[in-house]
Amino acid sequence: MDLLKRLSYHVLSNNFIKAGKGSSDIKSNLKSIGIDSDILRKIAIVCYEAEMNIVIHSLGGNLHCDIYEEKIVILTEDIGPGIPDIELAMTEGFSTAPDSVRELGFGAGMGLPNMKRYSDIFEINSSIKGTNIKMTILL
Amino acid sequence: MNFNVMFDEEKCKGCTNCMRRCPTQAIRIYKGKAVIDNVRCIHCAECIKICPYEAYSTESVDSKIQQSIKYKIAIPSTTIYGQFPKGTEICNVQNAFLKLGFDYVYDESWAAELISKAIKDKINENKEIRPLISTNCPSVVRLIKFRYPSLLGNLISLEDPMEIAAKLARKRAKEIFNCDDNEIGVFYISPCPAKLLAVTDPIGPNKSSIDRVVPLNTIYGQLYKEVKKQENLCFSNPSLKGIMWAVSGGQSKSAELNNYVSVYGMENIIDVFDEVENGRLFHIDFIEALSCTDGCVGGTFNVENPYVARNNINYIIDHTDENTLQNDDLDKYEEFKNKGIFNLVIADEDEGDFKKHKINIKQAVERIDKIKDILALLPGLDCGSCGAPTCYAQAEDIYDEKSKLIDCVVLRAKLNENKKEEK
Repeated sequence: MDLLKRLSYHVLSNNFIKAGKGSSDIKSNLKSIGIDSDILRKIAIVCYEAEMNIVIHSLGGNLHCDIYEEKIVILTEDIGPGIPDIELAMTEGFSTAPDSVRELGFGAGMGLPNMKRYSDIFEINSSIKGTNIKMTILL
Repeated sequence: MNFNVMFDEEKCKGCTNCMRRCPTQAIRIYKGKAVIDNVRCIHCAECIKICPYEAYSTESVDSKIQQSIKYKIAIPSTTIYGQFPKGTEICNVQNAFLKLGFDYVYDESWAAELISKAIKDKINENKEIRPLISTNCPSVVRLIKFRYPSLLGNLISLEDPMEIAAKLARKRAKEIFNCDDNEIGVFYISPCPAKLLAVTDPIGPNKSSIDRVVPLNTIYGQLYKEVKKQENLCFSNPSLKGIMWAVSGGQSKSAELNNYVSVYGMENIIDVFDEVENGRLFHIDFIEALSCTDGCVGGTFNVENPYVARNNINYIIDHTDENTLQNDDLDKYEEFKNKGIFNLVIADEDEGDFKKHKINIKQAVERIDKIKDILALLPGLDCGSCGAPTCYAQAEDIYDEKSKLIDCVVLRAKLNENKKEEK
């Protein structure tokens, strides 16, 4: 199916002032499109977690929301350092977030597990160059 | 029905104060007068509070209807105890209602204490859904229905104290007066107009047990006169745990919770609900969200300043003898709980309509794009002079053909300048 629209955001590393702005904009756009509220909530969760992961763990990256007639796809691409052991990172409660981030209330080790749980298709690729995540939510 | 927030078009100057204040952007100024969109209105009364010309008011009590009812029951809201000066004989309050012509008084605080216990139990019994959200503020419930339908399942499935007080009061009155249900009229002495909404448009499928809502400030004068009279001295006190409900954080404190978020003010509530939607608050047990400043004491029908009222209530809690409480319903918690009296079934119909309506994503995306095109033409000042609260709202209205581009004063000024230059 054709891509109807792409929303894109640049996400800065370690910037907690702008953190969450992209996912909040995606949410309000999808809300005005009229996406079902339960589906919207799933998108909001995965989007926010993905954006925060870029802020906390990477050197910066991009967040995209692709709108199709039958699905919403959330994509992230970031620059390094990547995830050495993806399986371990997918474990609930496992976190590599530094204490400075945990003090802000982030880094509880639920990011990736929640992203997987709330998306219908979850794809992740990671190398020392960076991490790409693709999350599909069917409408 | 007995609702409404009345609007006096004569008094409205089209000043845009209410339009800007409205948390759900339900107000527009058309032809110099404010117009409320009833679908969007959550009855939070911000417009009433801010209007400098008193164009908004609430309907006063119709005395004829009062007289036609054989047995009149008053349910004073918990905030009433914050309205009297410190040192007032609080034990006179309920008796004062009898002097005003009511036949029976059932204090809302008693029901509030019962609901506090029910909240505590519900949180311990239901660990699946987090956070659970209080149903006490009708504006908040309406906000969830309208703006956060995905959080409907988070509403704690318990009736609010007003409703429980009305149910229990009816039961009591039938025993005392040995009469039928239809001979009884239940009057809620309300701190805010949103309670009117809860009665006319309840969240559950059942009809409210309240018959009329009386704005507290419309009877305060007469009431206070009676409360001051020494000969009215009697010993009927509110529940101290119950009156905590009048202030923000009081529900959670009364329910002995320790892992809760207490928030007031619509903008702040919207921030918190956004966090819930983003899945950031799964670890919180309970959210106590109240529309008005410092909770129900901030409701527009109160007489006293909300912060002073909070102080008064704290004073009462510290200086009242708990042993003079007398309503034995407070001892029947287990019995009521087992009968399911507190349970609330949340009507799903609004959400249902919304869901059944299958959206055409393609058209919706085109609509958003066109609205953004219109937005790009507008100055982005959000000045409100066109009659819409923001340029985005105006762009939507233009797209929906409810307004025109030329309604923008900035664009109009530019156009006039251009015309002058041409001449």
